[in-house]
Amino acid sequence: MDAFAPATCLQCPMRGEKVFCNLSAAALQELDIVRSVGLYPKATTLFAEGRAPRGVFILCSGRVRLSICSDKGKSLTLKMVGAGEVLGLSATISGKAYEVTAETVVPSQVVFVPRKEFLRFLREHRDAALQVVQFLTQDLYVAYDRVRSIGRPRSRRARPA
Amino acid sequence: MRSPYGLDIVESCLSCKIREHRLFCDLPPKALETFENIKFATAYPKGAVLFVEGQAPRGIFVLCKGRVKLSIGSSDGKTLILKIAEPGEVLGLSATVSGKPYELTAETLDPCQVNFIKREDFIRFLRDHTDACFKVAEQLSEKYNSACHEIRSLGLAHSAAEKLAQLLIEWCNHNGQEGKPEARLKIALTHEEIAQMIGISRETVTRLFADFKRKQLIQLKGSTLVVRNRAALKALANS
Repeated sequence: MDAFAPATCLQCPMRGEKVFCNLSAAALQELDIVRSVGLYPKATTLFAEGRAPRGVFILCSGRVRLSICSDKGKSLTLKMVGAGEVLGLSATISGKAYEVTAETVVPSQVVFVPRKEFLRFLREHRDAALQVVQFLTQDLYVAYDRVRSIGRPRSRRARPA
Repeated sequence: MRSPYGLDIVESCLSCKIREHRLFCDLPPKALETFENIKFATAYPKGAVLFVEGQAPRGIFVLCKGRVKLSIGSSDGKTLILKIAEPGEVLGLSATVSGKPYELTAETLDPCQVNFIKREDFIRFLRDHTDACFKVAEQLSEKYNSACHEIRSLGLAHSAAEKLAQLLIEWCNHNGQEGKPEARLKIALTHEEIAQMIGISRETVTRLFADFKRKQLIQLKGSTLVVRNRAALKALANS
């Protein structure tokens, strides 16, 4: 696995490139206090659909598959996410169960921020709160696109002349 | 007092009696005052279109009274009803916040009171009030939750019968009839609209209703649907 583990968000070389990470120094310093960093191998479940929300997972590097599953084990991929994305956001905000399952598909570095600390962080940093709102709209668009692609009734095949 | 479409229009959010019960509307005093100054209270009849999918975002529509059908168009021209919005929901939110076109078409199912806020006023409102930001985040989370639920229903249910059974069970739960052995539902949608909610054809909905009636799972009395055998319907939904 690539050795990519900056000590703090403030020192991260990708800070300026990633939307959520591009916050003020003061905000990032605070984030550094409340977050924990994990290096996960491939096929690790970060969070599972239906579980109570523990917090958000910011993907620093690697790749994660978001999927929706049925009771019988069938699953549908919602999206593949890359570095810079914030996962588990909707559930963390609403307090309801995670709507999707997140599993690493390659070794990944992930920053975890517990729910209580994350909500407090958002209340104290309006820029981050506005950023979260934008992220949520993006998540929603992905979901709508998925609905569009799977929701249509099967069309009849045209009979040959 | 006379008013359009028989609606008892609430002119001021400040004096609204049900505001505290609505998640979005329960804003702190300063934010509420700003909100009051930027909103326009409007009334619409049944069948009015508030906005269409693909339209440039004009602003948000807070649904005060009545219900609104939210639909999405698939790439081959079919319509899917994503959900029926209830009072308290904020429509056109993601488009207004992001500046992208409205993702859905919103059409009133009943006479509705809607509070409209222009996009630029709403963006400024969010920048000035963190609490409002949180309310918006909560609303968006709720919508995401609904959309994921729809994906699960549409994408992972096996058969049309399973999808229809799931929908009827959800309606029973949503109308607070979870514990009752026999649930009564007032159906405001046509067979075509029900078909559009679950991605099957109108003919299949009609056939399935006849089938469910024959099996004594349901009974239809005008526009009221009585769920007679909830356990069997639930088993069908999960089969």
